[in-house]
Amino acid sequence: MNLARLDPRVKLLILAGLSTAALVSRSYTTLLALLAISLIILLAGSIAPITIWMKLRGLFSLIVALFVLQCLFNRSGEPLLAFTKFTLITQAGFKTAAAISLRLLVILLAALIVTTGEARDYLLSLTTMKVPYEVAFMVLTALRFLPMMREEAQDVLCAAQLRGLQIKKAGLKRQVGAYSKIIIPIVAGAVRRAEDFSIAMEARGFRAHPQRTTMRKLRMRASDWLYLAVFCAIISSIEAIAAIAAFT
Amino acid sequence: MIEVNNVAFTYPHTKKQIFSNYSIVFERNEITAVTGNNGAGKTTLSKLLVGILRPDAGSIVIDGADIGRMDLCAIGKKVGYVFQNPDRQLFNDTVYNEVAFGLYIMKLPNDEIEQKASHYLSLFGLTQYRDAFPGKLSHGEKQRLALAAVLALGADYLVLDEPTTGLDIRRQRELGNLLENLRSGHGCGIILITHSNEFSSCYASKRVVIAQ
Ligand SMILES: Nc1ncnc2c1ncn2[C@@H]1O[C@H](COP(=O)(O)OP(=O)(O)OP(=O)(O)O)[C@@H](O)[C@H]1O
Ligand SMILES: [Mg+2]
Repeated sequence: MNLARLDPRVKLLILAGLSTAALVSRSYTTLLALLAISLIILLAGSIAPITIWMKLRGLFSLIVALFVLQCLFNRSGEPLLAFTKFTLITQAGFKTAAAISLRLLVILLAALIVTTGEARDYLLSLTTMKVPYEVAFMVLTALRFLPMMREEAQDVLCAAQLRGLQIKKAGLKRQVGAYSKIIIPIVAGAVRRAEDFSIAMEARGFRAHPQRTTMRKLRMRASDWLYLAVFCAIISSIEAIAAIAAFT
Repeated sequence: MIEVNNVAFTYPHTKKQIFSNYSIVFERNEITAVTGNNGAGKTTLSKLLVGILRPDAGSIVIDGADIGRMDLCAIGKKVGYVFQNPDRQLFNDTVYNEVAFGLYIMKLPNDEIEQKASHYLSLFGLTQYRDAFPGKLSHGEKQRLALAAVLALGADYLVLDEPTTGLDIRRQRELGNLLENLRSGHGCGIILITHSNEFSSCYASKRVVIAQ
């Protein structure tokens, strides 16, 4: 089913379900099954594979780095890859590294499912799930501020470099000094903007009335319920099978 | 001479194409005014000129050197750039340090830094704010500070993105005269993005309109 048409609450529940399942699962088969499910949800929801790749590309190096570090620093178990007498990778190390990477991947894919919706829909769904409007609004505003701050940081960094500041070729100590210098205007700018923002919000009547009404109402359709039911059934059966397998 | 050769540029996130096969030349010893509607791509062009944005195709060549292979520090030695938003380029604790920042990095002798920075502060009427925090200045004062900090470095080319916004009439005239002096005295090439017909017809010898 197309993810853009799915009720935002269902998407939030799927995110919660998939990431919880990924965190509690111990075996690879379970993790691989969860990975397959998230991929199927995305692909069946008409998200092109190339889009998934583009969005995850930046974080992929992080996963690989985590995998390598886990492999190298977990020293328990039989040697898997040895260099004469020196054990490079152990079986247990490889296993935990693979499990951690898989978990992270599942969580990232689940997060991608949520990015198919609009911010205001999630705001609406959080309030229908009894999260106070102020809190929901705050969380989403914080998320919206982040890319703005990043853009601003980039501009400041460029301005400093154009005035001669060496960042790329400098030593670590100078780099830290340079970056700490640049944090000042970014934080100052963010604080000032937050102040202006709150005044603008109050001027437009934010929290003027305790009871908020909304123009649009979210309504779970039959297809949304069905989707959620199928998802819950699949996840719980996977977890049940994993529990039985672990027991026997 | 800054040559823009067959440049194409699209913002990656929004897939919004701003230039496809755009070419233009900016000469030294000349003030070129760049105008165009809001959103036409003036700021985008100026950021391409100084390497903050990199073209998808084509090249930008400054005095025979392709800036595609240069980092921002190297480009900054040839071109001074003043952002449209002065907040995004002031990052020092005092007004004086803001102007002296680039001079310190150039490793000039201390007395020369002192003399140069003071000169530019007085040129832009900022001497009384010498020890103030730049974030606390008014918009027009920030704009003047940003200009002072970049002009003090004495680059051969200047790219100024709407430098007159927020300046009062007197400061605008002073800025115009200063730019004219830089051109006639040092042969600077100045690229001036502006919406003000009056300012550009007064000080610029050439005018470029960016169409959407
Ligand atoms: N970082 C960005 N990401 C995506 N699109 C952008 C970005 N910056 C600008 N744009 C878009 O590119 C177009 C050109 O922007 P630009 O800032 O170059 O215009 P401008 O000519 O400087 O306008 P103004 O007169 O308002 O300063 C605009 O439509 C703008 O929405
Ligand atoms: Mg602009």
